[in-house]
Amino acid sequence: MKKSIKAIIQVIIMITALFTLTAWQASSASAADNSLQRVKQRGELIMVTSPDYPPYEFQVNKGGKSRIVGMDIDVAKKVARDLHVKLVIKSMNFDSLLVAIQTGKADMAIGGINPTATRRQSVDFSKIYYSGGQSFLINSSDVNKYKSVKNLKGATIGAQTGTLQYGLAKKKIPNSTVKGMDKSTDLVLALKTHKIDALGIEKPSAEAYVKNDPSLKMISSGYHLNKNEVGAAIAFKKGSNSLVNAVNKSIDQIKQQHLTDQYLASAGKYMKVNTVNTSMWHYWTYFAKGVEFTILISIVATFFGVLIGVVLALMRFSKQKWIRGLAISYTEFIRGTPLMVQVMFVYFGIGVVVNIPALISGMIAVSLNSGAYVAEIIRGGINSVAKGQTEAAESLGLSKSDMMRFVVLPQAFKNIWPALGNEFISLIKESSIVSIIGVTDLIYQLNIVRADTYRGVIPIFVAMVLYFIMTFALTRLLNHYEGKMKHAG
Amino acid sequence: MQDKKILEVKHLSKKFGQTDVLKDIDGTVKSGQVICVIGPSGAGKSTFLRCLNLLEKPTSGEVNFEGTDLTNVDDKHLVNLRERMGMVFQSFNLFPNMTVLENLKLAPVRVKHLSDEEAEKTAMHLLGLVGLKEKAHVYPSSLSGGQQQRVAIARALAMNPEVMLFDEPTSALDPEMVGEVLEVMQKLANEGMTMVVVTHEMGFAKEVADEVWFMADGYILEKGKPEELFDNPQNERAKDFIGKIIQNV
Repeated sequence: MKKSIKAIIQVIIMITALFTLTAWQASSASAADNSLQRVKQRGELIMVTSPDYPPYEFQVNKGGKSRIVGMDIDVAKKVARDLHVKLVIKSMNFDSLLVAIQTGKADMAIGGINPTATRRQSVDFSKIYYSGGQSFLINSSDVNKYKSVKNLKGATIGAQTGTLQYGLAKKKIPNSTVKGMDKSTDLVLALKTHKIDALGIEKPSAEAYVKNDPSLKMISSGYHLNKNEVGAAIAFKKGSNSLVNAVNKSIDQIKQQHLTDQYLASAGKYMKVNTVNTSMWHYWTYFAKGVEFTILISIVATFFGVLIGVVLALMRFSKQKWIRGLAISYTEFIRGTPLMVQVMFVYFGIGVVVNIPALISGMIAVSLNSGAYVAEIIRGGINSVAKGQTEAAESLGLSKSDMMRFVVLPQAFKNIWPALGNEFISLIKESSIVSIIGVTDLIYQLNIVRADTYRGVIPIFVAMVLYFIMTFALTRLLNHYEGKMKHAG
Repeated sequence: MQDKKILEVKHLSKKFGQTDVLKDIDGTVKSGQVICVIGPSGAGKSTFLRCLNLLEKPTSGEVNFEGTDLTNVDDKHLVNLRERMGMVFQSFNLFPNMTVLENLKLAPVRVKHLSDEEAEKTAMHLLGLVGLKEKAHVYPSSLSGGQQQRVAIARALAMNPEVMLFDEPTSALDPEMVGEVLEVMQKLANEGMTMVVVTHEMGFAKEVADEVWFMADGYILEKGKPEELFDNPQNERAKDFIGKIIQNV
């Protein structure tokens, strides 16, 4: 009892230390406004977006290469051109866009973001560059049922989590049930399979879907909204006045010259090109890239996971109390928190102190996580080695480290091989969580293909088969080695 | 030379929790001597043997090995002293992840820092001694119990120990394999190896031992030459124990 309380206290101290460190870094970073100067010195304007929202931003497959295009991208390009810097595009979930600029992962976030009063509390906004308006997508078969917004009373309405549409549907449609999902592609699929009755979405986006899919229709929202709730603006970290002012100059030009009309038209062209060939073969490079990254992350995380696991397991057998305590605290803490939170913490949290790229962050988080689980497996394995083995080694005068290296660990690994294999297999699957910070693993690529092709199910099926091939191949490999070890004793 | 004390135990006692397993044990093992420790199960024979190389830490008392009190040295020093005391276990405890030869070579290479060739030469010589040269490259799991125990003896000998401790080396064996192991042990004794043997093999004790120690309830109740102790035990418990065994035979 006493021990566990001590362990808990250790963990709490650890967390508080980390938190104060990151918080201090965050506050000190925003002290002076050198936002514009920094961009110019770097020669790069880093923007972050969630490219699953046509025609604002989406990915296209052009000549076998994937590109992010759309109205917002054209706006950002114009801004970068006016600042005489290069534009760098990073992509991640819509949920994470504002966090990314707050933590300095990017200079600006653009993605059909409505500059609502609540959001203004945490970030700065440019002037509004486009006013789209709100609407609903419905199934063509329901055209008679939902003639106007009034008919949606009591219906189930879908909206992207963290968007304005989500809040509006809750507030303005009486008795409705609002379902939130991360991806607009998932929402469209939910609509088509009648899991939701209508989908709250910006007008240009709705128009894009209707154009590409005859089974969908659009109805106007009829909301009476102020311009902050219909317009799209660019978000910046608080206190970036110099950068905001510079960007506003570009936006003024965009408005004067009605450039968004041109941008929308060219985005529309991409969308037409895009629907010509929606077979999965056409997108094999997407899936290949996803598989490549999933395997890369898994291999790296397996390697470091085992390394961390062995070290932690040996720490558990240390004579020093504090070393044992450290290992226990680490394991308990990692096992007690979700991998998703750990991934976000490494990327956004630690990222405030040292800027780590998304891929590396993902690898670090998954390795640290796996290490805790592997440690427990190895500890079990060490305990499973018969006591006579260590006694025999001791009686021969072997040192503790030689005993571990030559006698205990080889036998422990043989005993735990199946459990370890299990861990490796779940690693392949669980690494998919890194897609939330924009690492282009298989899940991430899957979502791009879905957004790109307007096909909801087939890409999921392809990804499922690919995951199975990977895990099955690994299982065969593990079995092969298990057989070999059996032969050796 | 015959009188050189290898091991000297003084007032040795051992508690497991509240239970006294060994109570105030004294005893001396001289160079070249073969001591057989006999007695009913639960007497503390194995615990006594394991206290001799400190696999069990005595609660109090001294264990002097060639003049050094083992209960009073640090871990590093203890490791150095242990390598000079060979131990053979009831359950063999060969390393299953290594071949027979690797089992024999591990400690000489890692602890004594012998070269691979030297260690292999000694190992093959010792395998010859226990009659298992042809098994050098197989894994222990493919050997019979008797063969495994002979390998275990060879493994302990590979460190060239001053004294060999045997903890009921034949108790886990099928009856038909007991003979081959005892034969190896007898050969060792004949070559002058100092040995402490915890055993239930009264025939072996009678024939090979220089001295037999009778243990019961954590005490050494009687020590004597085998012919004295077996034919004319003084202690009541010893009389009782030996009487029962002879009845059974």
